[in-house]
Amino acid sequence: MTSIMSEPILHPASYRDPDGFVFFKDGMLFRQVNQSYAANYQLLTGSGLYDVLVQRNLMVRHAVIEENYTGSTDWFLTLKPEVVPFISFPYEWSFDMLKDAALLTLELNKTAINHGMILKDATGFNVQFQGGSPVFIDTISFEAYDEHLPWKAYRQFCECFLFPLYIAHFQHVDINCILSAQTEGIPVHATAKLLPFKSRFNLGVWMHVYLQNWVGSGSVKETTKPQFSRKKLLQLTENLADIISGLKYENKEPGWGSYYESTILSNAYLREKEIALNEVMTKCSGSTVLDAGANDGYFSMLLAKQFKLVIAADFDSLCVNNMYRRIKDQHINNILPLRIDMVNPSPSIGFANKERASFTERIKVDVLVALALIHHLVLGKNVPLIMVAGYFSVLAPQLVIEFIPESDEKVQQLLKHKSILNNRYNQHDFETAFGSYFSIDGKYQLPDSKRIIYMMKRKLA
Amino acid sequence: MLAMLLYIDPGSGSYLVQMIIAAILGVLFYFKSAWHRVKAFFSKRSQEDKKNSSVNDIDNV
Repeated sequence: MTSIMSEPILHPASYRDPDGFVFFKDGMLFRQVNQSYAANYQLLTGSGLYDVLVQRNLMVRHAVIEENYTGSTDWFLTLKPEVVPFISFPYEWSFDMLKDAALLTLELNKTAINHGMILKDATGFNVQFQGGSPVFIDTISFEAYDEHLPWKAYRQFCECFLFPLYIAHFQHVDINCILSAQTEGIPVHATAKLLPFKSRFNLGVWMHVYLQNWVGSGSVKETTKPQFSRKKLLQLTENLADIISGLKYENKEPGWGSYYESTILSNAYLREKEIALNEVMTKCSGSTVLDAGANDGYFSMLLAKQFKLVIAADFDSLCVNNMYRRIKDQHINNILPLRIDMVNPSPSIGFANKERASFTERIKVDVLVALALIHHLVLGKNVPLIMVAGYFSVLAPQLVIEFIPESDEKVQQLLKHKSILNNRYNQHDFETAFGSYFSIDGKYQLPDSKRIIYMMKRKLA
Repeated sequence: MLAMLLYIDPGSGSYLVQMIIAAILGVLFYFKSAWHRVKAFFSKRSQEDKKNSSVNDIDNV
């Protein structure tokens, strides 16, 4: 305990639930449970639900602290939850990540029902990724189950999970941008309009989207008292899980999904880059790394052998999805694949623009690795070298960056219709721009491809 | 009274739609299990037939 205790700071996104809230104190994360949740908390632990969920790694553990840090009168308990290494949001997840988060939510609900409780809310923000799998973080989301009532979070579950997954499945579109704008989920009336006509012939879509839209539009009067049962609710939960398990994302547009397989950037190039990268990485210190422009995670897997946590970011949702599937299959638990556009990273959103911190605010890593990325930012997106260097210096104190020379086939492809940018991009200008923010500690020329891997350290301000 | 207790709005018609869906799923479940029973009955019979025929085969040898 420190002698000077700081005042508790409320987490900016923790204001909705009257049963408790999350706050920071002395740099640590706590959750206050209010008196209104006392009976439910006792049921959560007394029914054995908490133990089952943490033993199965479905929910984060917490320690109980019998101290009222906030001094509020409706205090019941203080919890100190296990901290997730990096907080990510549903609009940064790939299709399969959202799908797994949805299946986790349904599994939690099923387990809770069997213990006499139920999820009172069902948003993707209650789920985080840890050790390669989704985990539930909102301990006070469970409440006593009334068998006569349907699931009050059903609509929210549909809007946050089922509908975005349906749209991606049927329309083959990237849902990240939609979810970034619609943080509360995609409303049923919008989903009904966004889905193709053929989807109406799918029983699941018909029931959960079109029927729900019709009933919700007020065409049908809700006069009778709801009469439900445990059996019916379990059947509904099972039905949602069956539907979601069968959904898949296949982007029909040409993207980066098979970049390494389909380009000249094949075996010889990958091997020489791997050797150089292994050598450079021995000079880097720390435990966390951001692999920006990670593509299918080929090099992220290499980095995962050295670092405790690799955040593998790419703007192509299909690449990120392939990466997630691969790490899941191979049981790699220290890579977090995220759909991040490095020229338009996730902004700060929500109430007062503070609820969900921007990617730049959240990312705190020891090393930034940017392989075969710079030419896309400078020539593909017209971002001047000096601006890229400035932004990269904000992200991490150490930088490993690959420079792709002007003569390179990939650069020539990008310059085909943008020759005016040619005078903005060369090795000298690259070194000058990055030299303003970093000191160059090492250069490794890749003999065959003529590409260069730089090791840089951020200059002290 | 319900609205006072809820911190999230279940959504208009959300309870009703769940009741309709549950009814549909109940009917489907009924037919599915009936179908499984029919299938099980015939597969049992065909297995018994096979068994009997193999016994007959042995008898014939």
